[in-house]
Amino acid sequence: MSDPTVKRDQRLRALVFWSVLTVFVAWDWARSDPVDLRNEPPLIAAGSGQAASGGHCSLAR
Amino acid sequence: MAAFFIFLALQVSIRQAVLFLVGIGMGAALAGARFGFTTGWRQLARERDPRGVTGQLVLLALAAVCAIPLIGTFPELQAALGPPGVSLVIGAFVFGLTMQIADGCGSGTLYKAGLGVPLNLGILPLFAFGSFLGSVHLDRWLALGHLEPVAMVDQIGVSGALIATLVLLALLAVGIRLWVGPQRCWFDRRWLTGAIVLAVLATLNLLIAGQPWGVVYGFGLWFAKLAQASGVWDPAMNAFWSQAGHASRLAQTLLMDITSITNIGILAGALWIAARSPDAGKPLTPRQWAIGLAAGFLMGYSSRLAFGCNVGAMLSGISTGSLHGWIWLPMAFAGTLIGIRLRERFRF
Repeated sequence: MSDPTVKRDQRLRALVFWSVLTVFVAWDWARSDPVDLRNEPPLIAAGSGQAASGGHCSLAR
Repeated sequence: MAAFFIFLALQVSIRQAVLFLVGIGMGAALAGARFGFTTGWRQLARERDPRGVTGQLVLLALAAVCAIPLIGTFPELQAALGPPGVSLVIGAFVFGLTMQIADGCGSGTLYKAGLGVPLNLGILPLFAFGSFLGSVHLDRWLALGHLEPVAMVDQIGVSGALIATLVLLALLAVGIRLWVGPQRCWFDRRWLTGAIVLAVLATLNLLIAGQPWGVVYGFGLWFAKLAQASGVWDPAMNAFWSQAGHASRLAQTLLMDITSITNIGILAGALWIAARSPDAGKPLTPRQWAIGLAAGFLMGYSSRLAFGCNVGAMLSGISTGSLHGWIWLPMAFAGTLIGIRLRERFRF
């Protein structure tokens, strides 16, 4: 596991992967609606009185 | 990671920044403890080794003990309620089968990609594509027949839902005990530590986000954004993505989406662990690569039909008292039994 080739290859893969992900997130940030900071969701949903508004994989619609 | 946390706190919301930290914890726990749902099931079926599945049962029980009372107390908190039906049965079966070939479920693919395992890095975009396509086709699958989601908390109350969940989990443990025999070691510190940490983090996710931990939705959303931007697909013409909630999430940055931010956190947490223990993965032949990538795509597609993966449907479904989690589990395990044979046939 401490083989330098393994470490080098892993670093290279990680670099490529995180570069692609960073570019994607930046592209999405640039094309999306601006974040409304005045309408920030509550830090803790429990007890806030606001229903959760996020997407979830259990949603059928 | 620190810079991204500060950026989220200043430019998006404090909640998303904290959820990113929760995601990092999940990724570190999954990768550090090698808490693989797929591996645990395979060890049980092939070697009659119950340690991984015992860890998963402990995770389910602890998460349920925390989540079900919270859902009964705070009306803002939502359970992971998926509709039982044809889509769920077929989706869970195919997911359980393909996750053995791809050697990772939704969370497993994430943390292994974060660790730098080549096959899982390759699978991730195909998983996202499959998840997107599954959501696009979801209305057609639902048309084959389904019931409304069943929330045990609504049907039998908080105490009833919690007792029913714990009794069912205990029955599973008894069944496993009969299968593996009395001489087996049941507990492993690594699995138990992972279970406890993940149960705490899943509860934090529920308290902060107002919804249980999920993985698959975020990936589908990411690919939907790409498809929309390319101009080849119009979300307004699709039954799922034209719904108000999904349409608004397509318009806003993915950094506002809950599952997207915890997914990025999981990747980052696994990367942090990977820096300490590199994992090159096993070298694969071109045929194994092709089969593994196809399995990854099918895994993404079926996870949408099944209303979640091991995290969104099994962990979050069962721990929040959703009937669909209890249908998902046996169907996915049945698929896994075939997936293990296919895995051996293709010499993974």
